[in-house]
Formats: sequence, C-alpha cells, structure tokens
Amino acid sequence: MAEPVLKVQNLSVDYVVGAGTFHALKDVSFEMGPGRVVGIVGETGCGKSTLGHAIPRILAEPPARIRSGKVLLRGMDLLTLSKWKLPLVRGTGIGMIFQEPINSLNPAFRIYDQLVETVRIRKLREIGKVPGLAPGLEPFDYSKRAMPKTSEMIIKPPIVPALPEKAQGRKAIPDKEEYRKEVLEYLRLVRINDPETILDLYPHELSGGMRQRIMIASALSGKPSLLIADEPTSALDITIQAQVLTLMKELMEEVRTSILFISHDLGVIAEMADDVGVMYAGHLVEFGPVEDVYEHPRHPYTKALLRANPNQYKEDGPLPSLTGSVPNLSRLPQGCAFHPRCILARDVCRADPGPLLEPAKGATAAAHLAACHFSDEVEALP
Amino acid sequence: MTDPLVEVRDLKKHFPLTQPLLDTVRRAPKDVIHAVDGVSLEILPGEALGLIGESGSGKTTLGWLVARLHDPTSGTIRLGGQDITHLKGTALRSIRAKVQIVFQDPVGSLDPRLRVWQIVGEPLRAQEPLTRTELRERVAELLPTVGLPTGSLDQYPHEFSGGGRQRLSLARALSVRPQLVVLDEPTSALDVAVQAQILNRLVALQKEMGLSYLLITHNVAAVRYVADRVAVMYLGELVEVGPVREVLERPFHPYTKALLAALPVPEPARRKARYRVTGEIPTLIHPPPGCRFAARCPFAVDHCRSEAPALRSLAGAGNRAVACHRAEELLDVRPEQLLDQAAGAPAAATASGPR
Repeated sequence: MAEPVLKVQNLSVDYVVGAGTFHALKDVSFEMGPGRVVGIVGETGCGKSTLGHAIPRILAEPPARIRSGKVLLRGMDLLTLSKWKLPLVRGTGIGMIFQEPINSLNPAFRIYDQLVETVRIRKLREIGKVPGLAPGLEPFDYSKRAMPKTSEMIIKPPIVPALPEKAQGRKAIPDKEEYRKEVLEYLRLVRINDPETILDLYPHELSGGMRQRIMIASALSGKPSLLIADEPTSALDITIQAQVLTLMKELMEEVRTSILFISHDLGVIAEMADDVGVMYAGHLVEFGPVEDVYEHPRHPYTKALLRANPNQYKEDGPLPSLTGSVPNLSRLPQGCAFHPRCILARDVCRADPGPLLEPAKGATAAAHLAACHFSDEVEALP
Repeated sequence: MTDPLVEVRDLKKHFPLTQPLLDTVRRAPKDVIHAVDGVSLEILPGEALGLIGESGSGKTTLGWLVARLHDPTSGTIRLGGQDITHLKGTALRSIRAKVQIVFQDPVGSLDPRLRVWQIVGEPLRAQEPLTRTELRERVAELLPTVGLPTGSLDQYPHEFSGGGRQRLSLARALSVRPQLVVLDEPTSALDVAVQAQILNRLVALQKEMGLSYLLITHNVAAVRYVADRVAVMYLGELVEVGPVREVLERPFHPYTKALLAALPVPEPARRKARYRVTGEIPTLIHPPPGCRFAARCPFAVDHCRSEAPALRSLAGAGNRAVACHRAEELLDVRPEQLLDQAAGAPAAATASGPR
C-alpha cells in the first residue's frame, strides 16, 4: 500500500474546564491513503470536529489539551512541531473548509484579496522566498488524474526554511498578473461563472452556495496534501448542497487530494467517502470502506445509527430509536462507552474498556475494523 | 367530507424593505419581499400537513401567519369556520388556546431564567386564572406525555439536552390542549437518534389527542414519517400538494422531483452522479415573471417563463394538486432522471466535468 498521507495514532484530547475534564478524543487511530476520501460520522459531541481541529492543531489550547498520540502528515509529526512552525504547514500542507462560509470569509475584504492570500503564500513557499515545511513544498501533480505513484510520495525530512538564494533576486517573485490569473483559474475550477466580476465583490454579496465554492477554491489553491472539510454543506439548502457535493465529487476526480470529510449526515458521507470512521463519545468505534461499514456494520452503535435514519411512513409503525442518551464526556462509563445503550452488552463489556479497533477474526467479506467484543454478532441484530 | 379545521385562502405576506431617503422623497414605489405570495391550503381535523421547502421559500412565514404571529398583507385564515385573519385583543387570545407553535430553536425559545413549571405553564396561566399549586399540578400531569420525568418541575432549561428542550417546547404548546400545533423545524437541531424519539412522540400524541399538525421543515424524512399530506413550497408559492406517500413516491412538479433527487441517501451502493438542477434560488424582491422555478427547471419552455402556472388538480390524480404547465407531459419523469448518470453506470462516460 502506498505511504499514507495522514496517520493518526492514539490521539487523545481533553478539554479541561472548571466543571472537570472532558475526554473529547480517546485513543483515535486511523490512516488515510493518498487520494482517499475519509468520512468521519457521528452525533453532536462525539468529537468529530475536535478531531478535525486537532489534526492541523487549530484547537484552542487551553481549554483543549492534547494528551497523547501522533499526527503524521506525510511522515512529519505535527504534534511535536513547535508553535511557530505550525503556520508553515497550514495552507500548503493542510487546507480547511468550515461549516459556515460567511464566518470563514472576512467581510471587509474583496473576494480577490482573500483568495490571493493562499495563492501568494504557496507561490512564495514554492520558490523558497518565505518559509514553509516539507509536506507543502511537495505538492501532488494536479495535472494527473491518476493516483500519485509511490515513488513520488517519498517523504523528505522537515526542512527549516533556507534563506532564498540571492541569485533568484526579485525576478523570482511572481507578479500581480500571475496571481490574478491563478486566482481566476481556481474560481473557474469551482464552476463560478463570470469570475472576473466575482473577484471584486464582498462576501455578503454572494449566496451561501457561492461562498462555500469560494472557500473550496481558497482551500484548493494552497495545493494541500490534506484537505479537511468540517460539515462543508450542513449550512446549505438541499438542492444547493447537492450542487456543492456534485462539484466536490468532480473536483476529487480532477484534483487527487486526500480529503477528511466530517459530517453528521450519513447520507452525505455515503455519497462522498471511500472510507468511513464512526465516532461515539470520543472513540472511533468502526473504520472501513464505506460500502462494508454501511452494509455490514460490525459495531452495534453503527447499526443503531443507520437504523435510526427515518425512511418510513407512519403506517409502517414506530421508528426504531436508541434508548438512553450520549454519556457525559467527563464521566464516561466503565468499560465500553456504548455498553449502557447496547443490547449486546455483557459483563465483559462493563469491565473491559473494550478492544481498540481490530479486524475481524477469520476472513469474512466484512473484515473491517470495529471496537466491539461481539462484532461478529452485530450482523444478526434486528 | 369533514369541514377543514384550518382554511387559508390566497394568503399574502409582503415585508417592506427600507428605502433610501431620496427614494422616499421621490415617492418611488417601495420594494417588498414577497415572502408568502398567494397561498391557499386546508388542514383537516386530526390531520398532519407537512410543509417542505428550502430556506427562503416562506414556509416559516406561512406557519407564523397561521399561528397569527404575523399579520397578513391580504387573504383570509379561517379556523373551524371562524375568520381569524384580523382578530385582536381578547378574541385573539382565545384563538391562542386553539393554535400553538413549537419554535425551531429550543435554546432561544425557552427563557433561561424560568423553571420548567413556569415555562410550560405560561400559556395555561394566560388562559385561565390558576393558583401556583394548581399550575404546578397541571404541568406535572403534562410532563410524562412528552416523555419527561415529573420530578423535573423545578429544573432550568439549561439542565436539559437538545432533545429534552424540544420536549419542553412541545409540552408548553400542548398545555392548553390546542387543536392545531404549528411545528417549525422541530427536529432540525437534533441528531438522528434523538430525532427518531421526538418523531415517534409526535405521531403518538397526534393519535392520542386528535391533534392537527402543520409540520414545517426542510427534512423530507421527518415529513415522510409524520405527515398525512404534504405541501411543497418554492419562493412563496405552493408548487405541489397531495397525500404524502403519493407525492414522495411519484412527484409531479419538477421542483419536487429535483428536491427528492438531491437528497443524499445513506446507501453507498446507490451513490449518485452529477446533479443536473443548477442555479441559485432567485430573490423574493423581484420574483421572476411566469413560473418561479423556470430559471432552474430542466424542462422549462418559453411559456413557463411568461405565464405563471396556477395550482390545479390533474385529471385522474385524486386529491393532488400541482402548479406546472407541463405536469401531464412530465408524469413519468422520475427524480433519478435529474441526475446525469444512473447508479452503476460506467463513470467515465459522463463524469468528466465541463473543463
């Protein structure tokens, strides 16, 4: 298998606040291959956004505290990087798309000024004029639609930026025209008609769907190795959401970047993701190819979540629903976090914190990772 | 046929926009937002009507009009045969005992400084003179019906989860034993597992108390489960009305088809291809002449852009109504056909973008 773009190992994050310590993430581990789209799905408060913010380390620390673990972006551990080096990874190493595009865009600047920022920084990093760290300096070749070859994925040790050579001089710095051309190209990439006019508008003059396209263009223009999309379509209407999802799917064909796609919507994840991770109370309880997980869930929580999605009429009887509620993250139950709501729960679940993600015993078709003692019995549940 | 509980005729609500001073001096005509623009509908006793639409379609405004929280620009609202369009004062207050509303935001609609018995009992106190003890007793009886423990009388809203707060709102609405409850996005702030609990509760209560619902939501799944009939709204107008199963399984209006095609389904095997309905939702200040969906409709012809279609029933389609000139021709167009490529077809053929 190709070298993973992102490797998260035993990541634990706590929020330390007056009322106590909340274990927002507990021993989360997973890998993302190059060009893969990994979906993270779960209910409110399960830690999926904390995960999305912990990877580029944009969590507010305090109250958040990263307890343990590793986040390897193309081999470079982001958690051991010193604070001042972190911004060197953002933009070109990791790009982000947030839920509310209106909050991500500065209302006082024109679209051009906001888009050109990423383009300029990437260009200057590429020629070594401003510091940038290795993962961003080795962008994938976006002209190719095929997956990057393993040989292209060789990881370079993080370099502390060298001072640019004198010989390059001022000529090496791209001029305004070049920036403008590139910004326009990215606007066309996200299918914006008449990009010339859009450049001079302010964010409030655009619709929600348009703003989210601008955010996608902005994130892609950094040519990041990893794109994190945190609920990118949750604030949009259904038909506009479908348009943005369609666009993102087309872009995935054109721009083979790896995407971590966070959403509470099982339907959206099913549309977009290659692999899916299901989170519950800070734990990653199941991880595997999206078809396997949806059709043969191996964790009782995943099964319950899929069944709770209403798709029936009143005459068909009551909706199946989970009893109980999500546990308080400062007082997680002993053993498996899901056991109080689980119909498979036995004594071992109450005592043993439960296996971490492990593949099925024996080679069944649904041999993906699940954190359950009785994962083989889940399939037979109603 | 039973008389309808609610009868809305040609209801309009236009919100005036602020105007530059110079325009006021010139007496230029004022721009208005046509939030609800000529809507007629009926709700039968004991019936749940689902109202689907995207944001800005005017569905919440319509709900507020029916609950008499907005004053309509024109049109009439009748409740049980009585015209309530222009009621004021005491007469309006007596209507409040028959029509209640559950708001979308369970945090913003509950006063953080009041206790549960005060919040839930407030509509009751407005209707009848009750002592504190009586009020507490009435509320205590009410709480179990929405699935809350009687012991929570003295708690504050912040001690409840999102689902618990929505149950409180529901209890407050039910306290005066209304005939109609307007549910404005009751589950949009909730997770799927909690949403299922609330929807089950709503359906059970409808049966137990013989309630009528006006369920306003963008969530098709909630409408599918709760509603008996469904009305689809687009840009201030109804585009389709009919029994829920028939509309969702065989939509007539191109917008309904587009909406259903756009729904993400949690089945990776049925992954969709390119979605064909393009364009943004137009503004409600200067709505386009003709059919309001024409600009985005893949089936629009010139006629659609010039003349607005009226909501009419189709021959042989029972009690369904649709506002589309070409409805008869498009009967057999399935929502999936608004996608460029059916599931399972080879991706290479159509997936290449317009680059």
